[in-house]
Amino acid sequence: MTLTGLATRNILRNKTRSFLTILGVAIAVVAFVLLRTVVNAWTVAADYAQKDRVVTRHKVTFIMQLPKKYIEDIRKDPDVAAATYANWFGGKDPKHDTEFFATLAIDSGSYFDVSKEITLADDQKAAFMEDQAGAVVGDAIAEKLGWKIGDKVTLESGIYPAQPDKPWVFTIRGIYKATMKSADRSSFFFHWKALNEGLPEKRRDTIGWVISRVKDPSKVASISVGIDKMFDERDIQTLTQDEHAFQASFLAGFSAVITALDGVSIVILLIMALILGNTIAMGVRERTSEYGTLRALGFLPRHLVMFILGEAAALSGIGGAVGLLIAYPFVEQGLGRWLEENMGAFFPYFRVGIGTAVVAFGASIGLGLLAGVLPARGAAKLKVTEALRRVA
Amino acid sequence: MSETAQDQAQAPPSYRASAGKNTETLIKLRELRKEFTRGGETLRVLEALDLDVARGSFEALMGPSGSGKSTLLNLIAGLDRPSGGTIEIDGQRIDQMSEAGLAKWRSNTVGFVFQSYNLLPVLTAVENVELPLLLTSVPSSERRKRAETALKVVGLDNRKDHYPRQLSGGQEQRVSIARAIVTDPILIVADEPTGDLDRVAADEILKLLETLNGQLGKTILMVTHDPNAAERASVTRHLDKGRLK
Repeated sequence: MTLTGLATRNILRNKTRSFLTILGVAIAVVAFVLLRTVVNAWTVAADYAQKDRVVTRHKVTFIMQLPKKYIEDIRKDPDVAAATYANWFGGKDPKHDTEFFATLAIDSGSYFDVSKEITLADDQKAAFMEDQAGAVVGDAIAEKLGWKIGDKVTLESGIYPAQPDKPWVFTIRGIYKATMKSADRSSFFFHWKALNEGLPEKRRDTIGWVISRVKDPSKVASISVGIDKMFDERDIQTLTQDEHAFQASFLAGFSAVITALDGVSIVILLIMALILGNTIAMGVRERTSEYGTLRALGFLPRHLVMFILGEAAALSGIGGAVGLLIAYPFVEQGLGRWLEENMGAFFPYFRVGIGTAVVAFGASIGLGLLAGVLPARGAAKLKVTEALRRVA
Repeated sequence: MSETAQDQAQAPPSYRASAGKNTETLIKLRELRKEFTRGGETLRVLEALDLDVARGSFEALMGPSGSGKSTLLNLIAGLDRPSGGTIEIDGQRIDQMSEAGLAKWRSNTVGFVFQSYNLLPVLTAVENVELPLLLTSVPSSERRKRAETALKVVGLDNRKDHYPRQLSGGQEQRVSIARAIVTDPILIVADEPTGDLDRVAADEILKLLETLNGQLGKTILMVTHDPNAAERASVTRHLDKGRLK
């Protein structure tokens, strides 16, 4: 027998209590991991934003439109290598009216040159370019809705209602794949020209935003300022941000939710610490006379502290590991896949990050130790004669 | 002869043999005082107590409840600190030792036998006996050997893998005695060692203590309420209101 062996025996002493404590910690870790994964999934697009791209939008809000002629001015900027534009169409397929997917009217001639995170086979790209009513869809949404190349899809839009004689009908000419995990694999792209020509005269020639690839990524800040300066004296001013800032400003709309999730994550960890603290305190109280015996036999207060903290860390560590063993396959094989396939626009990449797993496991052990500090301190301070008198 | 007694007669030579009964003083207390403060009131439990206990003796301490017997035993065993006076055991002033020094001294010098046995329920008999050796540098295999030998001395080697809950009260107390002697201490303190036992089991425990004293020369200091138990000791002292009579 060893000192470690003695500490281990104490964990197994009350199997039901230890099991329930481990289960409690495991459930807390699962909840923590899920919450952190939701937050990470939301912010992943900002985290993986391209460093060489800037986005120009209406100065007031990205919902308002820019004149189409702005793209030409931006392309003339010597610091801009390439620029493209898009409009948020806000469409849905009435055959699948509960399915949400992003629908964007893009400048087909330049969009794929700027958006390197999506790839399209050359023959599909050529077919798309030749057909003004053509569309390109992500592989995830195509698989989910059973779309194949050549299929015709009719979209409805609240932003751009179809003219009575001109429904929004598109033919799928290509299925794109993503090269980055932050890219949405559920988008529906079609030609901006098709949108423009399908609109009444007064709504034509406006664009939602411009995406520019700059020549020198280290100068995105000054280039952004330069682009906005071009339009300072125009009727409509712009706001140009690097892609990370643009994504962050988009996320700002959800900031209250994200803050709330952060708060709930902390509360979950605190509950975990309280569960552990209660278990350890009960165990220490029940074993007071045993600690007295150990002290009488020559064990030092630090030995008791070691036993108690070791037990707390072991319980919380096992709970943390069990929690990760539950959370990881649950997200990787179940929830994550489902969310990516069904809610790819919100959660393009919903997986447990290594960082989240490390934080969850570290927090479980750290909080376990923290929960054991007070009981350990109390046990270490006990007078031997008083401890021996206590009856469990 | 009982199984226990046979084993005792064949006690392994690793235990320090007594030089026989002698008059050399092992425990020397001078002007020993102990006071407790309870709710602002000071209670004098022991008052200017002098005591000499010879090496190799078996002494019983008797007295009414609250007379200070257990307090005196705790002070001699290094479990508590005196309010005044000196405690010298085997030439060492334990009242002047640090907490860590005192803990080390206890593990080397004193064996404890408690009324409620105080075995750890999660450990088997042999593991309970091995417990004090965890603090020493004795290698693991040697620790187990010594613990098994100690169990042999008390006649429980056939129950070494039993947990305390699987043993009778008398057997638990014998395991407790094995634990007390495994480090080969010079002094064994026993606080009401037969208090929780029936007459037969109590008699076995007292025989065992007699053997440890007689055969192995251990100095034994026993607190008891039981006059029959006290009769087995070579010296009986009476404590009343903190003073030896």
